[in-house]
Amino acid sequence: MYQWSEEQEMVRTMVRDFIDKEVRPVREDLEFGDLPPYDLLRKMFATFGMSDMQRESFRKTIEREKAIAAGEEVAEKTRGPRDPNSIAFTMIPIIELCRVCPGMVTAMGVSMGLTAASIMSKGTIEQKERWALDLLTMDKVGAWAITEPNSGSDAFGSMASTARRDGDEYVLNGQKTFITNGPHADTIVFICKLDEGNPPAERTVVQFVLDAGMPGLEQTKPLRKMGIHSSPTGQLFLDDVRVGADRLLGGSEEAYKGSAGKEASKATFSMERTGVAAMALGIVDRCLELCLAYANDRVLFGQPIGQFQLIQLKIAKMEVARLNLQNMVFRHIEMGAAGEPVTYAEASATKLYAAQAAAEVANEAVQLFGGNGYMAEYEVEQLARDAKVLQIYAGTDEIQVVAVAKALLRDAASAAN
Amino acid sequence: MNVVVCVKQIPDPADPGALDPNTKTLKRDGKLILDESDSYGVEMALQLVDAAGGGEVTLVSMAPNGETAGLRTALAMGAAKAVLVSDDALQGSDALGTSKVLAKAIERAGQADLILTATESSDGYTGTVPEQIAELLSLPSVTFAKSITVDGSSVKVQRQTESGYDDVECPLPAVVSVTAGVVEPRYPSFKGIMAAKSKPVDQVGLGDLGVDAGSVGWAGAGQEIVEIATAEARAASTVVEDDGEAFQKIVDMLAELKIV
Ligand SMILES: Cc1cc2nc3c(=O)[nH]c(=O)nc-3n(C[C@H](O)[C@H](O)[C@H](O)COP(=O)(O)OP(=O)(O)OC[C@H]3O[C@@H](n4cnc5c(N)ncnc54)[C@H](O)[C@@H]3O)c2cc1C
Ligand SMILES: Cc1cc2nc3c(=O)[nH]c(=O)nc-3n(C[C@H](O)[C@H](O)[C@H](O)COP(=O)(O)OP(=O)(O)OC[C@H]3O[C@@H](n4cnc5c(N)ncnc54)[C@H](O)[C@@H]3O)c2cc1C
Repeated sequence: MYQWSEEQEMVRTMVRDFIDKEVRPVREDLEFGDLPPYDLLRKMFATFGMSDMQRESFRKTIEREKAIAAGEEVAEKTRGPRDPNSIAFTMIPIIELCRVCPGMVTAMGVSMGLTAASIMSKGTIEQKERWALDLLTMDKVGAWAITEPNSGSDAFGSMASTARRDGDEYVLNGQKTFITNGPHADTIVFICKLDEGNPPAERTVVQFVLDAGMPGLEQTKPLRKMGIHSSPTGQLFLDDVRVGADRLLGGSEEAYKGSAGKEASKATFSMERTGVAAMALGIVDRCLELCLAYANDRVLFGQPIGQFQLIQLKIAKMEVARLNLQNMVFRHIEMGAAGEPVTYAEASATKLYAAQAAAEVANEAVQLFGGNGYMAEYEVEQLARDAKVLQIYAGTDEIQVVAVAKALLRDAASAAN
Repeated sequence: MNVVVCVKQIPDPADPGALDPNTKTLKRDGKLILDESDSYGVEMALQLVDAAGGGEVTLVSMAPNGETAGLRTALAMGAAKAVLVSDDALQGSDALGTSKVLAKAIERAGQADLILTATESSDGYTGTVPEQIAELLSLPSVTFAKSITVDGSSVKVQRQTESGYDDVECPLPAVVSVTAGVVEPRYPSFKGIMAAKSKPVDQVGLGDLGVDAGSVGWAGAGQEIVEIATAEARAASTVVEDDGEAFQKIVDMLAELKIV
């Protein structure tokens, strides 16, 4: 794949048109007015039949799982080959939304990506039916809570949130921060450690599903932040929240034996990381488009600034980033279609490059626009603030470096033995 | 109920290309898109078929080079199939020539209860094709529809006028032209876009339709384009250099024009 197919092009045209008509006009409200993004996302889902597609694929998954549970013979599930459109059609809305409003992708990705995906990968059939479908269709808003004030990059090591057994139930306590959709979430996946009186380092990591409004659960108002204002971020406080085992993802503690808990979260990280390449592509694509127009229009010292070599360098570097990111997205689609899993190292390397490229391009776009670039009216200011977050969430740049290097060193060492 | 919609595929207005100095017509060799004017007819047709609880929407188009890009958009919206007429002999067709071809293509599309068009195309905009089709097919013609309801064997149309609308009614089948902007054309769903690729497009030439090549194209055209010329550039504006007294000069100029 070296370019979008005719159908993919049509999807892109239609989605861009929808976003220009529905999202662009309310950009200011999303950016400065705390307008939550969910109704716009729902409208997009309904318009393009995305919710129906989710419903259909959910129905098939559940039917299959029920057949397996009933002991019926079911064809082995293969990873591929798959229709590339099934992947491309999820990438294109991400790219297109990020050209205008990257925060909407964060809000959407955390809800239907992270939260629903955790339930779909770890939950029982009952739990999937109870919570996941509504998240996949965006009918309900989901949050995925791992980060705490004292545990971010070291998420598992320093985690202080706990679940204690109490008869047939569990009592949950803790504080989570920087939680995307936290202020509006209907469904929350809460990640904590099972406190059996053992030292924290030895405790099992477990996941619970919570509903908004449960006694003892507090969801704060949105925190003020640098960018992606259209993605509400908040804190969660849990004070003796009582839950039954029906809310323990997987239905029992057995599901968390060995390293299963950590592995499940790791798989979720991988998915999150590849999505960042598509986000970065949208940001870079829009920055370049705006910069090209501005560089041709803005006349200084008797000529358009695009004639200055230092400006040309910026533009050329933006194009290099755009091509690289596009190729990464195409590779992701190809690999998915072929049923080839993306390694943790590749997902991390992709995320590292994508985040840095988007942040650098958007910053250079501000520079190219001069004083106008610093003004909210000119869009690049927002994109520069928004792009920065890609280097922080879903694992910081530094954590990606560690993940890539460690995996390569480990492979090299085991190849040598 | 089966509805046929005439859809014109036109050069993208965002990238309109150029006039050919030899033929004195628009170059149509690039990718064509669905004329936005026709997206209203497609939407109206889909709604009518939905309301009738059955039947399908068939597209009819005449375009050079077997172009289907615009048809695919309408198929993705939900139309079931299309008849496309493409033939080198059609080059230079005028509105009547086009109507002759479309009338035959409509017959080929199968038994239609209703035929919809736009009131005028975005590029040619003679606004004469719908009535000519009706005449050639000996069907009633209603123009400028803002709303259409089908009631058994007749169609009720609110026909837009300068001061409001007329209620008109005529028997089916009929040719009705739909005013732009009266319905909100749907976006094709992702599923619709995927399905469009495999929907049948019956591509035919003049021979298949039994149309005499001499009656259409340059040969049959009752019109001739004698000359094309560049539109006159706007007269140069007056530049007032600001020497500190520019405001006075501007005020004087406005006074001279009796604006202030
Ligand atoms: C807008 C936004 C939305 C978010 N949404 C969510 C969400 O929905 N759910 C959720 O659970 N979390 C969410 N987060 C949290 C996010 O995942 C964390 O902020 C991130 O993992 C970093 O953790 P931290 O903030 O605690 O930084 P820290 O871990 O305190 O890092 C501080 C600095 O130390 C560096 N560092 C850390 N370890 C190393 C090392 N080993 N080597 C070198 N340098 C190192 C880091 O890279 C960073 O530069 C969100 C964050 C933001 C900003
Ligand atoms: C000089 C000249 C050269 C031409 N060359 C070619 C050529 O090479 N190949 C070619 O295919 N055509 C050619 N045409 C035909 C032309 O593109 C128009 O289809 C025709 O003139 C109709 O005129 P209009 O657009 O003003 O129709 P209008 O009367 O304004 O159209 C009203 C409605 O009728 C329907 N309609 C009109 N035209 C078509 C169509 N073509 N297909 C489907 N529905 C339609 C649409 O619903 C449209 O909105 C040529 C025309 C001229 C004048």
